[in-house]
Amino acid sequence: MNQAVKTKPARLPKRRSGKVASLDRKKARAGWWFILPFLLVFFLVYIPIIFDSINFSFHTIYLLSGGGYELDPVGWANYYDALFTDAHFVVTLTGGIQQLLLEVPAIVVFSLFMAVLLNQKMVGRTVFRAIFFIPVILSTGLIDSIDLNNAFTEYSQGSVDSGNAIQGSDSLMSVMDLQNLFAGMKVGHELLEYVVNIVNNVYGIVNRSGVQMLIFLAGLQSISPAIYESCTIDGATAWETFWKITFPMISPMILVNAIYTVIDSFTASSNQVMTYVSSVYENEGGDVLATAMYWIYFTIVILIIAAVAGLLSAYVFYQRRD
Amino acid sequence: MNAEMEKPRLKKKQNKGFDVEFKDRTPFWQRFRARFLTFTFLKKALWAVFRYVLLIGISYVILYPFIAKVAGSFMSKEDFLDVTVRLIPRYPTLDTYKAIITENKYFLALWNTFVLSFLCAVVQMITTMIIGYGFAKFKFKGNTFLFYCVIFTMVVPHQALRLALFQKFRYFDIYGIIQLLTGKTINLINTYWPLAILSFGGLAFKNGLYIFLMRQFFRGVPDELEEAAYVDGSGVFKTFVRIIIPLSMPMMATVFLFAFSWQWTDNFYSTMFFTRTGGYLMPQILTIPSSLDVAGFQASEVYSSAIMNTEALLIILPLLIVYVFGQKFLVQGIERSGIVG
Repeated sequence: MNQAVKTKPARLPKRRSGKVASLDRKKARAGWWFILPFLLVFFLVYIPIIFDSINFSFHTIYLLSGGGYELDPVGWANYYDALFTDAHFVVTLTGGIQQLLLEVPAIVVFSLFMAVLLNQKMVGRTVFRAIFFIPVILSTGLIDSIDLNNAFTEYSQGSVDSGNAIQGSDSLMSVMDLQNLFAGMKVGHELLEYVVNIVNNVYGIVNRSGVQMLIFLAGLQSISPAIYESCTIDGATAWETFWKITFPMISPMILVNAIYTVIDSFTASSNQVMTYVSSVYENEGGDVLATAMYWIYFTIVILIIAAVAGLLSAYVFYQRRD
Repeated sequence: MNAEMEKPRLKKKQNKGFDVEFKDRTPFWQRFRARFLTFTFLKKALWAVFRYVLLIGISYVILYPFIAKVAGSFMSKEDFLDVTVRLIPRYPTLDTYKAIITENKYFLALWNTFVLSFLCAVVQMITTMIIGYGFAKFKFKGNTFLFYCVIFTMVVPHQALRLALFQKFRYFDIYGIIQLLTGKTINLINTYWPLAILSFGGLAFKNGLYIFLMRQFFRGVPDELEEAAYVDGSGVFKTFVRIIIPLSMPMMATVFLFAFSWQWTDNFYSTMFFTRTGGYLMPQILTIPSSLDVAGFQASEVYSSAIMNTEALLIILPLLIVYVFGQKFLVQGIERSGIVG
């Protein structure tokens, strides 16, 4: 009771300042009009869809012949089936998440590196930029699903014909070369596998780092040239300039890109978990099971995003602009 | 003239201590050495070579699938049996194109997809702009919370909503109101309505990203601009139409490009909302034309894959044209959005 009394005077000054804020308040009311379309569809259509989707995952669904459908509550059975009965789901899930965690740093580092390259003045920059952003527009959806296991491109590169066990014939470097290189350097086997994976998958990584490159380029462009100028005058080398100026200035973009990459690669249909779950969806009565699987996957990825955001935001540098 | 000839001689003497006896310029070899055999130049040259090797290499990785697709599309059946043929067909033919265009009704799909993508892109461009402006410039209660809702729609995989989306639009209803009024639900499958409704609310494919981009862009627009308009007696909406929209053209072009091309190649919404009997869209041409009879063919796997690649090529051909013209907006628009945090 006492607290309730105490909160009242705190509200009053806000109301008193109404006269000053009247234009602001008028503006604030106009803001609702602007986001009205989103509000309408979000609350009238989208929220029910989300609710339905979660609801379905606790039911079995029967389509009635006369139209309509009937739900039969089964409790946690779908989730239980997904985690304990289905032989492949957990394996695919752990594999997929492992791959996700390995690829995200690779994509972010690669796109940062390429953005720095594409930002430099050189002959043919526009052409290279145009080529590098082709995947953003073209390698999505349908094309992505065709390229996913493309027998013809593999054939034209000559790997089908050779038919030997060495997997490296269609990649840029032979695995054996790398193995020798790393054995000499005495680093762990895991690192070797990581690098081999990335080199083998270079097309996938290049393909999926288009938007990230755009975001990094935008960030690089927004750094004032005056800062670089003063650096050169003070005698900083390009290496120092990168780590002392470019890197901190671009760190907010690294956060944005890391999160975007996680979201993008886990919702991509080329993702192995997504491929597996949509194959489950096509099975008889698999639709609710697949929905349950999607929600399990979603929960895990949300946790990953939260972890990534929490980890990176500790290191992000924001320039104060006033 | 003479004075100019003197100058380099003096300079050289001071700097490098060359014994300059001759009348004309320093000999070629010395000039060459001073200019090209220095550490700085070497470093620069090495970096340039490295850069170009890398850029050209990765460009090759990006372009290779397209080159292979083009090459494969002209190959005839015999080429797939010939082991020596990899990229350049020995018996070039247009049969694959002909079969796809006539049997798979390519032009029908092209037209339908164009209409659908264009309408979606226009609607999405306008609504995400309006919504993004609302989020960027107005401080009403719940602004932050609602923006988190937008982010949420971006994160939820649309595949997870597949069943619910289909059921929702198959038996369309808003909290049971329609059923209450008319006694039955509406079937919206095979119409443009599901996509129209989602686009109108900025909830269709990747629209969360567009709203995010728009919001970041409008946050970069100085408030003084609008305040000046308000002082001159223009209302909020008039200011938006007269001042803000002309300003945001590059960003609109970017969002349009994204929305158009991602809707064009989309195979999730268009196969879900348009079952085979309905609108004939791009995903439906991805079948092997019967006249090319693949079934009993020796290299059938590679051959059918090459046909699929040709179909992919035909699908992206119009997009390629759009990309050539729109590409500069892509970089410009994103550059001006100033995405920070």
